[in-house]
Amino acid sequence: MADLLNIEDLHLEFHTYDGVAKVLAGVDLKMQRGDVLGLVGETGCGKSMTALSVPRLIPMPPGKITEGRVTFDGEDILSKSEGEMETFRASHLGMIFQDPVTNLNPLFTIREQLVDSVLYQQARGQKVPGRWKGFMPSVRQLRAEAQERAVELMRLTGIPDGDKRIFEYPHQFSGGMRQRVLIAMALAGDPDLLIADEPTTALDVTIQAQILRLIRSLVKQLGLTVLLITHNLGVVARSCERVAVMYSGRVVEESPVRELFKNPKHPYTRGLINAVPQKDVSRGGLIGIPGMIPNLIDPPAGCRFHPRCEQAMEICRRQVPAAIAVGAEHKASCFLYPEDA
Amino acid sequence: MNLRFYLLRRIALIVPTLIGLSILTFSIARLVPGDPVGLAAGPQATEEIKEALRREFGLDQPLPAQYINYMAGLFRGDWGQSLYTRRDVLPDLRTFWPATLELTTIAVIIATLLGVPAGVISAMYRNRLPDHVARILSLFFVSFPAFWLAMIFQTWFGRDLGMFPINKRLPVLVAPPPTTTGLFLVDSLIQLDFETFMVSLRHIFIPSLVLSFSAFASITRITRASMVEALEKDFVRMERAIGIPYRIIIFKYVLRNAFIATITVISLNFGWLMAGAILIETIFDWPGLGLYAVHASLSLDFQPIMGIAFLYGVVFSLINILTDMVYGILDPRIRYG
Repeated sequence: MADLLNIEDLHLEFHTYDGVAKVLAGVDLKMQRGDVLGLVGETGCGKSMTALSVPRLIPMPPGKITEGRVTFDGEDILSKSEGEMETFRASHLGMIFQDPVTNLNPLFTIREQLVDSVLYQQARGQKVPGRWKGFMPSVRQLRAEAQERAVELMRLTGIPDGDKRIFEYPHQFSGGMRQRVLIAMALAGDPDLLIADEPTTALDVTIQAQILRLIRSLVKQLGLTVLLITHNLGVVARSCERVAVMYSGRVVEESPVRELFKNPKHPYTRGLINAVPQKDVSRGGLIGIPGMIPNLIDPPAGCRFHPRCEQAMEICRRQVPAAIAVGAEHKASCFLYPEDA
Repeated sequence: MNLRFYLLRRIALIVPTLIGLSILTFSIARLVPGDPVGLAAGPQATEEIKEALRREFGLDQPLPAQYINYMAGLFRGDWGQSLYTRRDVLPDLRTFWPATLELTTIAVIIATLLGVPAGVISAMYRNRLPDHVARILSLFFVSFPAFWLAMIFQTWFGRDLGMFPINKRLPVLVAPPPTTTGLFLVDSLIQLDFETFMVSLRHIFIPSLVLSFSAFASITRITRASMVEALEKDFVRMERAIGIPYRIIIFKYVLRNAFIATITVISLNFGWLMAGAILIETIFDWPGLGLYAVHASLSLDFQPIMGIAFLYGVVFSLINILTDMVYGILDPRIRYG
């Protein structure tokens, strides 16, 4: 089966006053239809930028893609015009972000925002008659149907009394409910791919669990393909089938979730998993990875993890390791493993 | 709390505002140094004549009594009398005020219609050519003195090109439309007299255009700034990510967010232009309140001064209330808060 999403050797730079930050340094990522892929890594490792490269929402300038390809269903995304991108986003993508408070427009009712999402995503690039043409029966009909669909979406995402609450404003909704509205907006056009950029980070723990449960049930009901970005391994363990670990602008390990937790290969992944607090560990028993996130303007040569790696070898300082198969569907970019394993 | 309640509360707030305003205008008129009666009566006036004048205008009574008289007069529609012309203040205001109001309103409309799109374009093409053009234009208009531009425009469009009349509200031979509001544009429309409407539109165009320039500049600047700020908001990225066209995001979702600051500046400008119209009125021989106000202040003619101050105060508070209402309509959080 052809890949739904294929990111190949993506390099992204940001031009800042301090110099050129090499934010992505050769990201490779593939997704098939129906995949639920978790993308984990610490702050600043480039996971959000990787995700934003698909709808091409990285601010450029200062951002600049210097190398690599992003293809979606065989189509090259990076060469599309801005107008084609609008149609592409509307018809194929759904995206939700971290903070449900700032991602909803405070001045418009849920109805206005949801109905527009439905209309523009279903239009797939066709012209949508403006709301001011509401005096025309055909437009009124169109909007009424879109509103029905919006209420249906609210029911699907678990918002009670959608037919009444649709007339309310975002500030009348709780954080968790707002995230559900955002999910409804993202799903309005039956997207092929849902990108969730840290969808639970700004929510408190019980609501986090609810939102994750909702995403899982949507995956089951609608057969959604999801790219879930998080820095929380627990979220990955509960919600994803496959996981890709990013470190400083590269994917360093990729594997099925179970395999990754049972048998982590890359030293960074091992460090991450060791750092997860265990409930039977005594006080003060938290284990971290020594060192700091590398500077992106002047990154370490070779493998960017080598200054923090206990198993670093001479070659790690000179050469960037390629992804190597280390098990069934399990790849790691590390010189510890022989190429032909 | 719903929108209607919010609006009613705003309207109710006008009462204490106006009471405060009347105290203020009254005190200012009594506290200014100088002897209005002495000035009015002239240098040769005897003490008896001055005394008679004081008694006539109620100035011999204690201040609280004077204030009560003044308040009672305000309610009765008796806003006092000019010391010089002996004309009642209120009818004078009714004569001159509409000309100024008409001039200012058209100026604010022009400034808004030009300034908001210029600001939006500026923000959309930030730091690119259209932005630079809009910013240089607004800098140009805010820097050049209005009276100079007024004369230049008068010379170009009025004399050299002959496109527009150079002064007054109407040609001498055209009778003004029957007074309903005193606004010629409105009155002629009421009479369905489109000829007079067009003539007075041509008369008002150049003076209000010149008057609008400074407002245009500040409206452009604030629209640009608040659009730029609103464009950085997370919801813009969200709306783009799910495929809402950029055009719709700008003109529907972002503009409304940016408009709250813009509305504030528009309403402030309305007040400033009204007070600042005097220069333009002088140059274009526009029979507005400006000249009347200047004459009254120069001669310490305190009752017209109080009348004008009170009128402007009322207008300012009305504009403020209108602005508050627009806030409430635009932003549900203000309405419910």
